[in-house]
Amino acid sequence: MTLQKDPERTETKYLHQYADFTGKRVLEIGCGDGRLTWLYAKSTHDMVGIDLNADDLRVATIERPADAPVSFVRADSVCIPFIKEKFDIAILAWSF
Amino acid sequence: MVHALNEIHRVLAPDGIMIDLRPLAGNWPMEVATSRDFLEAGRVSDSPTGLEDDRAANESMTKAGTQKWFIRQREEYFPFFYYWDSPNEMKEYVDEHWADFITIDETTWRNVRSQWAVANADARLRVRVKMLITRWKKI
Repeated sequence: MTLQKDPERTETKYLHQYADFTGKRVLEIGCGDGRLTWLYAKSTHDMVGIDLNADDLRVATIERPADAPVSFVRADSVCIPFIKEKFDIAILAWSF
Repeated sequence: MVHALNEIHRVLAPDGIMIDLRPLAGNWPMEVATSRDFLEAGRVSDSPTGLEDDRAANESMTKAGTQKWFIRQREEYFPFFYYWDSPNEMKEYVDEHWADFITIDETTWRNVRSQWAVANADARLRVRVKMLITRWKKI
């Protein structure tokens, strides 16, 4: 199958218009296989992606660039396993 | 979902930003696209599940505002395209991934196939998904 998603990179353009990720601590809720994560993660201070789907998280972990300050955690958005005020930006990524 | 928004509010630093990025139902157009132009070949039909998901999400975000957890700062819609090389590939994907959210009737599929068949050799099929992006600031 030759599916292509957003080759125009419109989503990337809007995401960066809406938030400056440089040096920020970012939480992505519903990160899935990391498709969205790789659009912004490299400029962050650190980024954590959470999702309930273990298979998607496995893909995201395998595809993680060695120099990306990124980690993935299997967790539910109704019980986020982090202390209060840990992040500067939260992204609800296609997760409703 | 309201519980999730409360959790996000908890883990965000003061003045933290929440970005809500999601597709919305909207009878997305199906288009035959070439390097030069595109032609609408039909529209998908929103399923009740997809519409209900949008309603619930919008209601939760409104509640996050009324609870004074977040204030809406900026919001826009933009198109997000999915492309396939043939109607069969498109149908396979739709059946596998979108069956809960949209339906496409046989008449529409026939129209898509016939328009793709007479298009230029570089023609691809695409669906124009309606996206919503909103920036909320933690109060």
